[in-house]
Amino acid sequence: MDLAYLVALLIFPGYAFLILMAFFLEWLDRKTLAKVQDRYGPLRVGPVGLLQPVADFIKLLSKEDMVPRGANRGVLTAAPILMASLPLTALFFIPMNGREAIISFEGDLIAVLFILVSLAFLIFLTGWASANVFAAEGAMRSALQMLSYEIPLALTAICPALVAGSLSISTIYASQAEAGLPFLAFAPPFGAMSFAIFLICSLAELERVPFDAPEAETEIVAGWMTELTGRRLALIRLGRDLSFLLMASLMASLYLGDPITPGLAWLAPLAFILKVMACAILMSFIRGLVARLRIDQTLRVFWTYMIPLAVGVLLATKLFLMLPWY
Amino acid sequence: MRATGLIGWARASSPWILHFNTGACNACDIEVVAALTPRFDIERFGALKVGSPRHADILIVTGPVTRESRPRLIRIYEQMPEPKLVMAVGTCAISGGVFAGCYNVCGGACNVLPKVDLLVPGCPPKPEAIINGLMELIKRLRR
Repeated sequence: MDLAYLVALLIFPGYAFLILMAFFLEWLDRKTLAKVQDRYGPLRVGPVGLLQPVADFIKLLSKEDMVPRGANRGVLTAAPILMASLPLTALFFIPMNGREAIISFEGDLIAVLFILVSLAFLIFLTGWASANVFAAEGAMRSALQMLSYEIPLALTAICPALVAGSLSISTIYASQAEAGLPFLAFAPPFGAMSFAIFLICSLAELERVPFDAPEAETEIVAGWMTELTGRRLALIRLGRDLSFLLMASLMASLYLGDPITPGLAWLAPLAFILKVMACAILMSFIRGLVARLRIDQTLRVFWTYMIPLAVGVLLATKLFLMLPWY
Repeated sequence: MRATGLIGWARASSPWILHFNTGACNACDIEVVAALTPRFDIERFGALKVGSPRHADILIVTGPVTRESRPRLIRIYEQMPEPKLVMAVGTCAISGGVFAGCYNVCGGACNVLPKVDLLVPGCPPKPEAIINGLMELIKRLRR
């Protein structure tokens, strides 16, 4: 194992960078939401509040650890660890530094989609093992929501793969640079529609407004997270920040592969990070602009509109690729 | 409960609050909400309003403690993980206020909970007073 690989694994696109970037995106999310609501947001902890997520994390680590009577201690211990480590694993498949991810193989897009499904299962297990009605209710809603958004998410993530002719995220990203335009602009209007479907499914995957019925704090306390304290909550919050980073960087790598940087290789990591931030700000804006849907409305949105639309966009992309001049 | 260094800094930088109304007339609640919303915005200091007592650091009690809400207040207090602080906002939460001595009122939060760390008087207290109380608690957390 040579030094460059070790640095890549531990520092730049690896652990240190990913965790700091996840904390940074949480700060960006809270700041954007505060700006939409005409507030300041975190301001006093570190320069412009940048250290706020770090302070929250350390505080939660230092708090008392409680497991309610009747709850399954094993699940409540394993689930937070897995919920922090699974998105971190998935992030290693993303080409953070330009062209090539740390790990990539033909089919890693499917591996990332599989990790997203297992995260939803972990949420269900955590809520169910908490021995609390509110947590169980949140877990049920989370499972119902998973049944609805996973299908259009997988279908629409196949569209860029079809165009690139590969199921590897790094190859999809590189092929957009070779083609000279991002997939979002490829095959208009289907690229843009596929991006929109992916964005909406990401919001449901991350349980963000408008699809945050599983943790509706005005209604069912804190949903499936109700009984979590101390370091369990700290790890779950870190895992959610990492998932946020994962969805934003999936969006950036599948749809916004850039035609600008081939000549300027040193700019590639910076360009990618800016794209990830743009996607995160887009999701934060939606959080500030819309209200929460009830769980039955969420299901209706996905089953009656999103799934047929995703199938239609997939077929249209395939037909577009069969056109004689392509 | 005392912590110095990194942990003390982290605790003082992220005081998450849980707001519990034990029977208030809503005046104090509106002022607490005003402290959270755009004009006063205590998220500047890292304070978040959380839904679950398991996530909270500071319990804000408003209103006189009625007989109905007494067991619930004690239960919510016990559900919070250590270190936890309690702030009684408004005259009623301190002593029962004008309702003290009523057949259905057990007095203020001080009469029910084992400890109340800070009293914010007023009927209702202004959001500035609530923020001042929060700053006092943050100072204690840092010490």
